[in-house]
Amino acid sequence: MEGLATIRRIDKNFLRKYGTVLGAFVIFIVFSLTANNFFTTSNLFLLLRQMSMLTIISLGFTFVMAAGGFDMSIGNTTGLVNILFAIVLLNTNSFLLALSAALLTGMLIGVINGTLVARIGLPDFIGTFAVGSIVYGVKMLITKGNPIFFDKDVPEIFPFIGQGYVGPVPFPVILMFLLVALSVFLLTKTSLGRRIYAIGGNSVASLYAGINITRYRLITFVISGLSVSIAAVILTSRLGSAQPLAGEVFLLDAISVVFLSTTMFGEGEPTGSGTFVGALIISMLNNGLIMLNVPYYFQYITKGLVVIFAVVLSVLLGQKLRVKF
Amino acid sequence: MVIKAEEPNQIRKKILDTETVGKEFNGVWVLRDIDFELNSGDIHTLVGENGAGKSTFIKILSGVHQPSSGRTKINGQYVSFENVRHSESLGIRTVHQEINLVPFFTVYQNIFIGEEEKKRFAGISITDDKSMRRKAKGVLEQLGIELDVNKPAHLLDASLERIVQIGKVLVHNPKVLIFDEPTTSLGEEERSRLLEIIKGLKTQGMGIIYITHNIEEVMEISDRVTVFKDGRKIATLPREEISPEKIVAMMLGHKTFNIYKRENFSRSEDVCLEVEELYTDKLKNMSFSLCKGEILGIAGVVGAGKSEIAKAIFGLDKIHRGKIHLFGENYAPSPQKALVKGIALVPEERQAQGLIPNFSVMKNITLTYLDVFSRSGVLDKEKEINVTNRYIDLMSIKTTGHSQFVKYLSGGNQQKVVLSRWLNGDFKIGIFDEPTKGIDVKAKEDIYALIDQLARKGKAILFLSSYLPELINLCDRILVVHRGMIAGEFDPKAENAKEMIMHAMLGWRAA
Repeated sequence: MEGLATIRRIDKNFLRKYGTVLGAFVIFIVFSLTANNFFTTSNLFLLLRQMSMLTIISLGFTFVMAAGGFDMSIGNTTGLVNILFAIVLLNTNSFLLALSAALLTGMLIGVINGTLVARIGLPDFIGTFAVGSIVYGVKMLITKGNPIFFDKDVPEIFPFIGQGYVGPVPFPVILMFLLVALSVFLLTKTSLGRRIYAIGGNSVASLYAGINITRYRLITFVISGLSVSIAAVILTSRLGSAQPLAGEVFLLDAISVVFLSTTMFGEGEPTGSGTFVGALIISMLNNGLIMLNVPYYFQYITKGLVVIFAVVLSVLLGQKLRVKF
Repeated sequence: MVIKAEEPNQIRKKILDTETVGKEFNGVWVLRDIDFELNSGDIHTLVGENGAGKSTFIKILSGVHQPSSGRTKINGQYVSFENVRHSESLGIRTVHQEINLVPFFTVYQNIFIGEEEKKRFAGISITDDKSMRRKAKGVLEQLGIELDVNKPAHLLDASLERIVQIGKVLVHNPKVLIFDEPTTSLGEEERSRLLEIIKGLKTQGMGIIYITHNIEEVMEISDRVTVFKDGRKIATLPREEISPEKIVAMMLGHKTFNIYKRENFSRSEDVCLEVEELYTDKLKNMSFSLCKGEILGIAGVVGAGKSEIAKAIFGLDKIHRGKIHLFGENYAPSPQKALVKGIALVPEERQAQGLIPNFSVMKNITLTYLDVFSRSGVLDKEKEINVTNRYIDLMSIKTTGHSQFVKYLSGGNQQKVVLSRWLNGDFKIGIFDEPTKGIDVKAKEDIYALIDQLARKGKAILFLSSYLPELINLCDRILVVHRGMIAGEFDPKAENAKEMIMHAMLGWRAA
């Protein structure tokens, strides 16, 4: 009897730690069995390339949520970075200048978010939501809602970013894995990561421990803005045009991804690797459901259900979710 | 005793009494054998140090806790309170220490909150505002207060907020009214106004239980006084027999003060910290200095302003006026500057302000001086583990290892973790805010010895406490804080030191 109880306890522990990873496997196997073209090399590379942008945006969001924050501006910022990148590239024909403009825009929006939320003290949800709204307005003001096409020659490296390959592997996939590794490193092996998790764990105690919580929370928003701009550059290159509304879907997907990430490994905190698995789950649903010819609105319903299921499961397994707004 | 004409309640009858009521939590009796009586038309005051059992006792009367032993009678009938609602339905109401009004609700809405009066209108039940307004007005008249019942609560001053809170209770016609330190946040004038109102209530025949830390209030308001100490009732005294000296003596008891004692120390004149006429939201005209190798005690009851001194020095509260000098230099506080200058703060609330619950013992210990454990931002895990293991040994922290989550440790061991966080750095001024609160005796002794050692090594210590024995035995000098001001400086070795300090803590100015 006692042995059985131990096994059950181990099961529960195992489920709490790896339940979401297990879920990813189940989804993978179900799609492999039901959708004809899902489990093929070309589709798997396509899947990885599709998920690279979502993963990169979600990695930045992971830093924000690890410090107990929230960033509602990421969707709109993607579109603004697209446009500014395209405008600078078309006018200067310099990829480096365009890239710098993109990264600086993302970081600047991060600084604005961080100042409003961490320094002035607006609730995260409200502050970043308002910034997102302003960003939306600005990009519409610039483009009148029209996409920008690259109607003249651009540096060759530009299409490579989103469409190129290194050997058989798409370049964005390589970039994604590099950034996942970098995030895991920063979050687990550096004093920056330790302090970010401390603030998320108990911000008052962190203050009493002498941590400059304003500064570190601001840094997380800058990291979020930076990762949004990297993803936006990939997106522009992939599309071959700058779409002001492109990337809006990333907000909802990234929120789902990081929530899934917090349910992973039983820590109740988002992690770099957890975010990767979360992005894989959401992207497999996007990809697989298209393969099965499921209408797009069912994708939304399914994604919503998966997130609810994951969170409910982890709460049932005795994990305390730490999410603040 | 002459009975005055305006007191119609000559025949006082017993409305509440308890027989051997006690309460145990996890095998520890925090309250034991309480026999207590309350008459209608009486104000019965409860006094005792923090942790003496007063709060537990009123929580039993108000149905928050169920007693582990004993019985309670109301009007001669045995009752057992199942929950707060039940106790309230039997006519027992409590005015809590915290003010809990909804700011944008009006006075009458606050008075009836949660228990709104209803009427039927077109077949549905809606609130009966007219009746609530009328009754709220009646209650305020009963309190002798003229106040517009339609005024939103956020426009009220502190004493009116308190009065509305009393109104909230009074509107249900209670037989027993419990006041838990109702004057804590009030100024002098507001306080006397409130005391008059409470005295007025007793002439209406209610039985009143009044908890206070202020001895002047005890003298002014009590018909009877019951002294609690260490979970037991020491005595109940009628009005004629009470005096401040007697009450303080009973609160202190025959304390043997049989705890760690700091001895053979010499005080240096090397001033580290100097606070000059400091004003914050809570502090008024605070001035003192702290020397190297000295343990300066700051004594005061809960809410007197001890923690606010720590917060001001650590840069967590805004300073309105005044100066702080550190080692002779001007110092504008912020937590980061405090850290750089060598100020350590062990906060009062271990859970809320001290620990990161989801962090391991190691991560909690290395958190403050994290830069020491990292090279260009990358953590040196080996060094972290080594130092953590050293402190687990040194402080005898009971844990399964450095990777155990700190939330699974006992209170005393958690406190040692918070202490270790500061000890592994080279601080010069240590501020310890109630460092032994809620921890076991052995851990307490360890912490006393540690603080003594730190002072001997030349660190300057600010020791904030409301517990007299540890203040007397550990400190070289003691400042008493009362209502945000310094009420006096005392030599703990002087004769009658404990009585004088207790008097000052309780706000009694000896003639």
